[in-house]
Amino acid sequence: MTRFRLLLTGENSAARNMAIDEAVMWCCPKPGIPTVRFYSWKPPAVSIGYFQQIEEEVDLEECKKQGVDVVRRITGGGAVFHEKELTYSFACGEESGLVSENILESYKKICNSIVLGLGALGLKAEFAPLNDIVVGGKKISGNAQTRRGGVVLQHGTIILGVDVGKMFLLLRVPNEKLKGKMIEDVKQRVTSAEQQLGRKVPFEEAAAAMKKGFEENFGVKLEEGELTAVEEGMAKMAEERRFAYSGWNYCRRTSPRGCILRDLPAE
Amino acid sequence: MASGKSVFKVEGGKLLKISLEHSGCAISSVKIAGDFFLHPEEAVGLIEEGLEGTPLDENTLKNKIEAIVKENSLQLFGFAPADLARAIMMAVKQ
Repeated sequence: MTRFRLLLTGENSAARNMAIDEAVMWCCPKPGIPTVRFYSWKPPAVSIGYFQQIEEEVDLEECKKQGVDVVRRITGGGAVFHEKELTYSFACGEESGLVSENILESYKKICNSIVLGLGALGLKAEFAPLNDIVVGGKKISGNAQTRRGGVVLQHGTIILGVDVGKMFLLLRVPNEKLKGKMIEDVKQRVTSAEQQLGRKVPFEEAAAAMKKGFEENFGVKLEEGELTAVEEGMAKMAEERRFAYSGWNYCRRTSPRGCILRDLPAE
Repeated sequence: MASGKSVFKVEGGKLLKISLEHSGCAISSVKIAGDFFLHPEEAVGLIEEGLEGTPLDENTLKNKIEAIVKENSLQLFGFAPADLARAIMMAVKQ
């Protein structure tokens, strides 16, 4: 049976979390072993999509006050408040044949791991294109993919518990006057494993379920591994020069010291 | 020189947020933001630069965006060229 590498990197700062995903992507051996990673965020964090403007999406002062990290992702999509969740990432070579060349199809394929994992938790989940997974019509998982250097990287959240009120203290909305209504809307449209199961779901339980989901979906065994020395070096560089760098988080610029990341030039 | 902003929610799609500077009849510069997806991501700069100097006419903008997308084999998710053209025109009117 084919093997994927499983990385359990625990709780990290936002910059470190995003740096590890990027390092794994650049190092993803082609057509070597694909990687699945499970992680969480300490302190809690807001991540924004590649194309978003930070001041428009995030109340930076409130985040600072509450000790919440803020980071720009290398993937598109919206702003996400990461607190009680399991975050996964998946990386494989485009030529591995594991996912379709077609981006929409590949979202569906990778997300099916999460659908199966939620099934193992006892939840009937469905993929909702483009990039969501829903339970009972409510969003429980958001996902975002990028393709660079011949590698597919997808990361996403599995919401274990949700506090919409707190989320909207940290996020900005296009029209402040409609904020109250938006909060009510989001409460209707977003759910969590805790809400659906009527009990708290520990990270470890969710991780074990998602591991099963990936194994079943791809017909493989996930074997726990570590970051290689090269990945660790790249992660340190990506953290310092990109994700912990205000030029990236504010303006999508990389550090003037240059970037290792050949396909992601400074703008 | 005039400037404007718009926020346009694509039906069944994502949010486009436009910041526009224009001469009254053509685009001087445009910034495209939002929660959409674009492959490859850096190509958002190609679209923004490619639109400089384009006349402020919704159909002309749509055709120009379509041409940039085709020329560079871009893939848009959560919006279509017509949506982006519409969002830009909305920024003119504000």
